[in-house]
Amino acid sequence: MQEVMLDCLGEACPIPLVKAQKKLEELAVGDVLIVQIDHSCAMKNLPEWAREAGHNVEIEEVDDGEWEVVIEKVK
Amino acid sequence: MSDTSIRRSSTARPRKKKKSQIPIALLVGLVMIALGVVMSVFSPVLGFFWFTGIAFGFILQKTRFCFTAAMRDPYLTGGTNLTKAVLIALAITTLGFWAIKYGAASRGLPIPGQGFVVPISLNTVIGGFIFGIGMVISGGCASGTLMRVGEGLTMPIRSLAFFVVGSVLGAMTMGWWVVNFVARAKAVFLPDVFGWFGAIAIQLATILLLWIAADKFAKSKQKVTETQ
Amino acid sequence: MKKFAEWLAKNDYYKAWFKDAWPYVTGAVLLSVFQIVTFATTGSPWGVSAVFANWGAWIIEAFGGSVDKWYYFASEGAQATLDRGFFQDPGTMRNIGLIVGALFATLMASGFKIKKLKSGKQVIAAILGGLLMGYGARLGFGCNIGAFYSGIASLSLSGWVFGVFLFVGAIVGSKMLVKWFM
Repeated sequence: MQEVMLDCLGEACPIPLVKAQKKLEELAVGDVLIVQIDHSCAMKNLPEWAREAGHNVEIEEVDDGEWEVVIEKVK
Repeated sequence: MSDTSIRRSSTARPRKKKKSQIPIALLVGLVMIALGVVMSVFSPVLGFFWFTGIAFGFILQKTRFCFTAAMRDPYLTGGTNLTKAVLIALAITTLGFWAIKYGAASRGLPIPGQGFVVPISLNTVIGGFIFGIGMVISGGCASGTLMRVGEGLTMPIRSLAFFVVGSVLGAMTMGWWVVNFVARAKAVFLPDVFGWFGAIAIQLATILLLWIAADKFAKSKQKVTETQ
Repeated sequence: MKKFAEWLAKNDYYKAWFKDAWPYVTGAVLLSVFQIVTFATTGSPWGVSAVFANWGAWIIEAFGGSVDKWYYFASEGAQATLDRGFFQDPGTMRNIGLIVGALFATLMASGFKIKKLKSGKQVIAAILGGLLMGYGARLGFGCNIGAFYSGIASLSLSGWVFGVFLFVGAIVGSKMLVKWFM
């Protein structure tokens, strides 16, 4: 089981989502991807996409205006 | 959320104690209301525009409403949630505008807002096309750029500055475009073609069909990723 | 004040109204309400980008230039707007209000952060994107709000045509973004 950090701080939509989609494809089921973001729109569309794709998602607010979206690949 | 907590081996970066920005928020809120009241005394029109501007900004930020994503995501990520939301906005606003316009016309008054019914020419085509490219690569449209300036993004401030530069270049060369294309072009107001009730029916039906198409598209994309 | 902020941060209503994002459909409904109120009150729908051309004109005038000879600013209405100046222009107040409203919403959620630029590519993307949007908005008589949203809602065919090419442009823009700016 692998845990991968993806640094998307300072990146605007749609880059965090596209990068996360690509990265998640490379990972195996059970791996965890942590995406660091500071773009409030990505904070909404990234978890939404991941949930719709059926993965487990958690959001952690790390600092003011900074989040880590934790995605566990389920399938 | 019924999600069981995801186990992660690394903890997040050392947690700083988060500072609440609410006190600053309340201060900003007071100042913006005070400014609005002063403006309204001085000129009700200015006050109205100021307060509705605040409302638009607040709504856009809170809902993360994004016209750029609505246009871009179907192709780029396969998502159509925002596309569908924009279509809903188009439908509701159309109903309201139609009622106001029809109300004026049926009482024999001049129809308001016809300045937004503009001629269709090569201008519309090129304008829409390059605006579409611009909003995707800069990560926000006109309203989105303004909203993200308020969120503290450094990039949109530059986009905004060059939005102004681009607008000036556009205004500067407008004469040439008008002489060559716009002057010969026609504006089409749908009720003139289909009648008041025909126009609203056709427009709402078009929006509904697009909504269904967007919904089906996202579902088909989801299936593709599942079978992979 | 500090105590109040701490109490508020734990309040459920605060969380739902100010901390968490609202659904997109709520946005669609509320934007529509304010569009209709704006149209009913002022006789004109919401627009954003025409104001930016005026800002440019005022900057040029501030440096001693003149735009009076430009076709775009030749009409009486445009001249009257320019003569009123920055602080008495309703459209300008609406755009600045939009920034302040977004700032207020962000601060209420404790989400304000001055973001750092990650790379030079972002600067180029911002500049190029801004230029294209500015020029495109003047050609198309408006932006995603004035030409597209308000245009379609005004039952103008131009809004639909602009929208179709906005969509085509967004696809080309996506390809460029993935290729060069990521």
